[in-house]
Amino acid sequence: MLLFRSEENVNAWCRERGLPRRPLVSLEQLWKLALAWYEDRLTIASRRPAPAEMVSVFASIGLTGPFWDPNADEWR
Amino acid sequence: MNLDDTVKLEIYGRLAQSGIAPTAPEVASSLALPLEDVTAALARLHQRRLLVPEPGDPSRIRMAPPFSGVVTPFEVRSDGVLYHANCVWDALGIPAALHRDAVIDARDGQTGEPMALEVLNGAPVPKPCVIHFAVPPARWWADIVYT
Repeated sequence: MLLFRSEENVNAWCRERGLPRRPLVSLEQLWKLALAWYEDRLTIASRRPAPAEMVSVFASIGLTGPFWDPNADEWR
Repeated sequence: MNLDDTVKLEIYGRLAQSGIAPTAPEVASSLALPLEDVTAALARLHQRRLLVPEPGDPSRIRMAPPFSGVVTPFEVRSDGVLYHANCVWDALGIPAALHRDAVIDARDGQTGEPMALEVLNGAPVPKPCVIHFAVPPARWWADIVYT
């Protein structure tokens, strides 16, 4: 995932590469993802979230739909 | 504590302290363990998606998310230490993991224009920007280096 100053820059990046525009996430949402994934990463208990936990984290910050489903077959 | 957790904490502890990923021989030496045991632990930690070995050289660590084992465009400075992150999410993940404030030197993905982000008092300082997720979560680990 990449950082852009504006949505226009995202559109240009996708257009130049012939790639589809995918969801945009705000800095605030990304910080919440960073905390969910990594807040305990330096502890013995740390582990990567399981798929169901990922869905729950995504939904808690408004990221819903097939794109955010880690088990979605349509992306495989 | 089992072997995998011991190796994991050694790697992450050294990354947090110095920003530099240890090699498998360095981990083995530090923990006074046989190199084969450490190498096997690294492979299991990779299976658990807690780290990624360097392609073609399993003794080196390419990623121990959110930390990168190699230099990347995402530079994170915190408490006098320079870290490298794998992406902008991981750039925020480093201060999240360290529980420290940080300054992140990133660039606009399209223009290359420098864009500094800051985590201050435990939260990012608001800044006009967006993050584009080009790869869906179902495919993140199909090619994690690209993701």
